[in-house]
Amino acid sequence: MKVTMFSQVPYRRLPHDFEKKYDSVVTTPWDLVDPEEVHAAFRDSLDEQLFAARSGFDGVAFTEHSQSAYDMAPNPNLLCSALAYATDVEGLNVAIYPVGRSLGKAREPVRVAEEYAMIDAISGGRLIAGFPVGLAYDANINNGVPPIETRARFDENLTLVLKAWQEREPFAWNGKFSQHSAVNIWPRPVQQPRPPVWITGIGNPVTMKFTLENGYGFNYFGWFGYKLTGKRIFDRFWEIADQVGQPRNPYRLSFLHAVCVGDTDADAEREYAPHIAYFFNKGLGSIPLERLALPGGIGLPGLHAILRDPGDFGLYLKMRTATFKEIVDAGCVIVGGPDTVADLLSQVARDFRIGHLVPMLQLGSMPRELALKNVRLFAERVLPRLHRIWADEGWDNYWWPERLGGKRPEYQRPEEARTLERI
Amino acid sequence: MTQTTMTPTERTVKVWNGRITMHFKVIGTGTPLIYLHPAAGLAWDPFLDALSKTHTIYSPEIPGTSSGDPQAIHEVDDLWDLVLIYEEAIRRLDLATPPIAVGQSFGGMLAAELAAHFPNLFAKLVLLDPIGLWRQDAPLANWIAAPPTELPALLFKDPGSPAAQAMLALPDDPDKAVAAQAALIWALGCTGKFVWPIPERGLHKRLHRISVPTLIVWGENDRLNPVVYAQEFGQAIAGSRVETIANCGHIPQVEQTDITLKLVNDFLS
Repeated sequence: MKVTMFSQVPYRRLPHDFEKKYDSVVTTPWDLVDPEEVHAAFRDSLDEQLFAARSGFDGVAFTEHSQSAYDMAPNPNLLCSALAYATDVEGLNVAIYPVGRSLGKAREPVRVAEEYAMIDAISGGRLIAGFPVGLAYDANINNGVPPIETRARFDENLTLVLKAWQEREPFAWNGKFSQHSAVNIWPRPVQQPRPPVWITGIGNPVTMKFTLENGYGFNYFGWFGYKLTGKRIFDRFWEIADQVGQPRNPYRLSFLHAVCVGDTDADAEREYAPHIAYFFNKGLGSIPLERLALPGGIGLPGLHAILRDPGDFGLYLKMRTATFKEIVDAGCVIVGGPDTVADLLSQVARDFRIGHLVPMLQLGSMPRELALKNVRLFAERVLPRLHRIWADEGWDNYWWPERLGGKRPEYQRPEEARTLERI
Repeated sequence: MTQTTMTPTERTVKVWNGRITMHFKVIGTGTPLIYLHPAAGLAWDPFLDALSKTHTIYSPEIPGTSSGDPQAIHEVDDLWDLVLIYEEAIRRLDLATPPIAVGQSFGGMLAAELAAHFPNLFAKLVLLDPIGLWRQDAPLANWIAAPPTELPALLFKDPGSPAAQAMLALPDDPDKAVAAQAALIWALGCTGKFVWPIPERGLHKRLHRISVPTLIVWGENDRLNPVVYAQEFGQAIAGSRVETIANCGHIPQVEQTDITLKLVNDFLS
């Protein structure tokens, strides 16, 4: 199993009654902010990632969230390029994984292709390219994309990005959402014909099928509570894999999850509980439903399915007021001593055939020292056990940079992303 | 739901080189009248029932909202496409005389666009709280992103009134309630394609082209689309008449049905 540390850059000092007094964590007034804390948040987040890279993690990851107080990272590529350089200088062979830039949001897809190619060049071929479809509040509200166009824009933009990476000659692009008389980006990615591509989703079967049919990895995050949603989502994924005739290679599936490791179970609960509550009540829980799902973003059959059975949302609908116990019981976070955490993660990986784990080790208000402790305990006591998972089955990992031990898939060039089925 | 005395029939016409089937609900007798529905889709109400006594109402459903054909919206890229598609559809009805157009909110914007693009398409124009203009000092509420719990207060002066409650009510049957909710959300998504994120696509530059008699009706307590826009429309459309209604929100034909009907009937007769 490959293990990649994931971080956000949260504002860690929201008022204690934030979730009661403020509308949301994606419309938070800037007046609340202490600028020194903003600087510290970025420094600490990058330091924690670099520490993970030095400690034996296989990769480092950030993602994209604009206009949000829970993650002040409108462009993960700025953070990832800093890590690409720093790890190159230190000779740390870790993957650099921007989980997004969302292509349903992007109005400049060629710029996305260029930025990813730059990270691959800076890191010497260690980029993992993440392309989420796009969160409603980010793609639609922050970036003005009509919700009903998010999918079509993702589809077209991904095709353009892949073509820009792979085409040898300059080409003209006459798209619905962008037009270019000539595309000939410099640099191209070091990894040819392209870096591994991962799509993050919350369980939409159309997205799952799309990743399986096109050879991309599928990343799922468990913040809604994997004990409520995991079986539904992962079983669905493997059933679709069977339907489209893809082998159940665990390396095509990734699980991004919040993890807190203490010296003992009791220590972990005591140390991390306030930060877990901050992350889930003030962060994720303070993103109202109407900002995660907007009319037009989900097609009519999907709407019928969700209105009849909202189970894929797990604990999310009551996250704002959920207690620590409810959060842990639902599996929104895995917390405990090293053995407890390693047991739980091993079981999840085995049960659901997960080949890539993306633990999030800094949550909400968690201070630097505690986050570094979490990284250290995870690296020393949990990571060795996780690394052994799947080693016995001999699967090739086509979703990992070749330089870092991944296997290069055979592509037909130039590769065209297939059109997404409309949902 | 609202009681109706008659059931509309359906008429379809193929447009857009055969790629789109436009569905019209048709009811009534008399002079032809095109009713253009709001963002939430076509809902039959007592106002339309009353109009159908003296007019034949043809009400087109925006592509994507007709039963069994949700993908049709993906054939329409932008407002310019939509205006051409509606003109084509209305032309293909082969009406004996140019119809009257009545449009509410989103439908009001569409009616104004059609009348501005095609000055001979309609005989008269009635705009009920139309969207389509934007002033920085009077921003429209974003009804698509609003929490469902806040919608009634955006739409009605008195969300508790029987007329408002009747419009907002969901069917008792759980399956039908799911279908109604899904249809409403999808309709907001389909119409949102042409007005997201700001419901202004340059209509202010085109309103002067409208040359037919025009009545503009506005609820004085419209919290979604403030009444200041009534005068903006009135000044931009030469010879138009502006009527505002007291104790009335965004949907005058539902919240103040009798007053709205009288204004419209007087104008049309």
